[in-house]
Amino acid sequence: MPEDREEQPVIGRTSATDKSPSYSDSFSFWLGENVIVNPFDIVEVDQVKHGGGKSTTWGLVTILDHWTDSPNHLANYISSNFGELSEVPNTPRQGTTVAHVNVLSNDADIYMPVLSDRLVRFATPEGVEKALGIRDMAKKDRVPAGLIKMSNGTNCVAYIDRRYVLGPLSAHVNISGISGLATKTSYAMFLIQSILQSASEEDRAKIAVILLNVKQANLLQIDQEPDRKPTTEDMELWGALGLRPGKFEKVHYFLPRGDKGVANTFLPSVTGTVYAYDFQGAADKLDLLFADVPDTYSTLESILSEIREGVLSGDREFENIHSWDNLLNSPPIYDPNRKGDWRNIKASSLGVFRRHMRRMVKTLTSGVFVNSLSTTEKNLGRELARTLEGGHVYVVDIAKLRDHEQMLVFGDLLRSVYNLKSDEPPKERKGRPVPDKVIIFVDELNKYAPAGPRPSPLTERVIDIAERGRSLGVTLISCQQFASQAHERVVGNCATRVVGRTASSEVAHKTYNFLGEDIRNNVGRLISGELIMSHPVYRQPVKIIFPRPTYKVQEF
Amino acid sequence: MAAAMPNPLEPIRVVFDTLGSSIKVLPAIGGVAEDLVRPEQEETDDALIHRQINKVTEFAETPEPDLQHIYRPTPPLFRPENHYFRYFIDGSFRTYFLGTGVETGRSFPIMLAQIGAAVIRREDDGRLHVLAHENRLLLLVPAKGEGLSDTVWQRLRDINLPSNFRLVDYLQPDPLTEGHKDSRDKANGKVRAETHQLEVDLIATTDGHRNNSKWLILDGATKISEFIQAPYLIGVAKAFSKQPEFQFGGQKRKQDISMLLAGLPHCCRTVAFKAYDGQVAFWYVRMREQNQVGYPLMGVVKVELPCPDKKPVSSELADLISLALVAERSVCPYGVDKRWHCCIYPIYMAEQVIKTGFYSKEVLLGAVKWPTTQGGFRA
Repeated sequence: MPEDREEQPVIGRTSATDKSPSYSDSFSFWLGENVIVNPFDIVEVDQVKHGGGKSTTWGLVTILDHWTDSPNHLANYISSNFGELSEVPNTPRQGTTVAHVNVLSNDADIYMPVLSDRLVRFATPEGVEKALGIRDMAKKDRVPAGLIKMSNGTNCVAYIDRRYVLGPLSAHVNISGISGLATKTSYAMFLIQSILQSASEEDRAKIAVILLNVKQANLLQIDQEPDRKPTTEDMELWGALGLRPGKFEKVHYFLPRGDKGVANTFLPSVTGTVYAYDFQGAADKLDLLFADVPDTYSTLESILSEIREGVLSGDREFENIHSWDNLLNSPPIYDPNRKGDWRNIKASSLGVFRRHMRRMVKTLTSGVFVNSLSTTEKNLGRELARTLEGGHVYVVDIAKLRDHEQMLVFGDLLRSVYNLKSDEPPKERKGRPVPDKVIIFVDELNKYAPAGPRPSPLTERVIDIAERGRSLGVTLISCQQFASQAHERVVGNCATRVVGRTASSEVAHKTYNFLGEDIRNNVGRLISGELIMSHPVYRQPVKIIFPRPTYKVQEF
Repeated sequence: MAAAMPNPLEPIRVVFDTLGSSIKVLPAIGGVAEDLVRPEQEETDDALIHRQINKVTEFAETPEPDLQHIYRPTPPLFRPENHYFRYFIDGSFRTYFLGTGVETGRSFPIMLAQIGAAVIRREDDGRLHVLAHENRLLLLVPAKGEGLSDTVWQRLRDINLPSNFRLVDYLQPDPLTEGHKDSRDKANGKVRAETHQLEVDLIATTDGHRNNSKWLILDGATKISEFIQAPYLIGVAKAFSKQPEFQFGGQKRKQDISMLLAGLPHCCRTVAFKAYDGQVAFWYVRMREQNQVGYPLMGVVKVELPCPDKKPVSSELADLISLALVAERSVCPYGVDKRWHCCIYPIYMAEQVIKTGFYSKEVLLGAVKWPTTQGGFRA
């Protein structure tokens, strides 16, 4: 039992009734007068112990309700002299507020129902750590993930276990919530900073971070000081979490090539490596371009397969195909003299493929596709595989790319990292060590891995990372507005789930079942900067707050 | 380890052992059978208590009321304006038939009762607190030769019992047992009398707190066998005898209570009437509109004011009491108590305090064991 246990004021007594008993995993308590308790507060109560004495059970308040002795609303109406609004209740109706609690843990591993009429107190910070299982985490594995702030003013750092975020025990973080609250990306960036800062110097040098910039120039100035100083509250939060506010260090930017051969970005002043795709470098990734194209009979898939195999195996039919123009305007894809099918593929199907291909790499392109790379233009996947280094942060800007281009880039990135971590490192690395851990952050996950029965090649790649990333040391930190619209095998494999304010219709989806009904009801009330987090070490989701980023963010 | 609940009636088990081994006991079906209170019991009791008040001929109010003006307006005076009633007392009981005792040819019911009384204090902001609360257990058997033999009765009396347990002879006369022929009815009457006495006993807990601006409401009559002498209290009866007839000086015809109360307007009181040679002044107050309730006498309470000095009550005081009483209609236990229309909510709360302190039937069933001749026990 914590030594300061008795100093915590009593806030209520447990209550078990014939219709609402205590269970092994939940109990209720009524609140004393003038006591303020909110959902997500953590409370503690006495429990029995082997051999006599007391143990402590901790629980998370999930919902509160107010009870009176009135059997129905009509009784209240009649009680007020049949709806007389000016009638003063001479005696206020007897009532009490009851808090419902989900059991978090017991320090003697006793999960018998809490008995009725036990005194209830707010948990101490030490109690919160025990309740959540933080005390069982090795200090080196603790990553501050936010601050738990309770109604009585008690604060406690919500540490998550590094082994469940970066592997090997589990991996990945998924963040969902409505847009416009500046919460999801901010939180992801805060968490990445926290992961890096809380690691030892040696470990930090083995973690590489890849960020996809999908909105404006959001992440294109993360290595610069902010224009405005952080607020006092934010500074206090950083301090309370034991972290240093600051910009990211060792940042590299990858910017897409634009129409005129210069970087195509929302922030022209940013400098970085320009990436582009020539046919030779993208031949094995063409399937990623077609992620959004319906292909009921897998005809396009057959053509793509023939091209990939043809190019990679040096097939004679493809020996003269070196550029996008070659592909689109020469045999074998375009052959005005051919009569009949090509490799059992009808000419009309080839025509469809050609039209799609032309649209993607010629007509509706942002300029990222080139017939041949200049000396300053790099193939993104190859460049990442060659240069990726622990302790560095890589920002890949895709904000100005068209949807099919974004899919190609993300898929290329995933494949390169996957291959780098699972195969022999490429010779171009010249013996430089491959990072132990690679963190990939992507917003709008539902775009790349949408829910649905037939996953696209890109979705399959994301699923691969989600399912096998923890053993490879690849961690996906992903965001989306609606988790229901992202593929369930991706979201389901994220061991740590974070939810910001979300509409009730969305949280009714089964993907939010991990929150439990009472907690789901609270999701709609979260404000900017508040999140609910579920982590494998915690027995229940907790509500956290976190500080705003302290790097330069483009303001609109 | 679960905290096992001990038998709360263990200290009185010796009584059942002694009784069961001294006489033959035919246990009630199911072990313990609760005797339900009849809905009109309160009214019947009022009639029994006030059996002498058949004809009311005098007023107990000063100035002397005018026969043409026997109803006085008493619009509600709410607590924030004048917090007049601060203390509330109620009593409650549950009676159980345990079995039939047989001793040398005499047979009689053996009853057990849980009785209780509670005093509720109301703060200036309306919050309620329990000022005093006492629950008791009564074992009711007949004595003095008509039931238990003197020997067995004495044997029971010699047992050293806990203070909250009493052995009661339900043949001992009092106003609520007289008139009943059936032994179980007598026992039930005795339980009600004991309950009322417990209420009266608890009035003492408010002594020193009551004054002319802090009054107490007692649920029911202010007299059972003796007059309550304590000042600054009234008895308020939700149900009352319909026997009294009213006939004053110049009137040729008697007026029954139904006629009197049917004419009583909303938020009005009758003038005060004299009873027991002026030792009690009583009047009626209509708390609710007639069209809001199903029967003209609903929503009317009877107020009894002890007047130990036999002086009539001033109209001003009776008005003030009635004004404050009308305000007590909000809030009310509509939907959970059939007498909601004339309930005083803190009184209802006192009743809840008492009842939540009663042992459940399951506890009683588990605790009441009669010894068998084989040396074992039977329920």
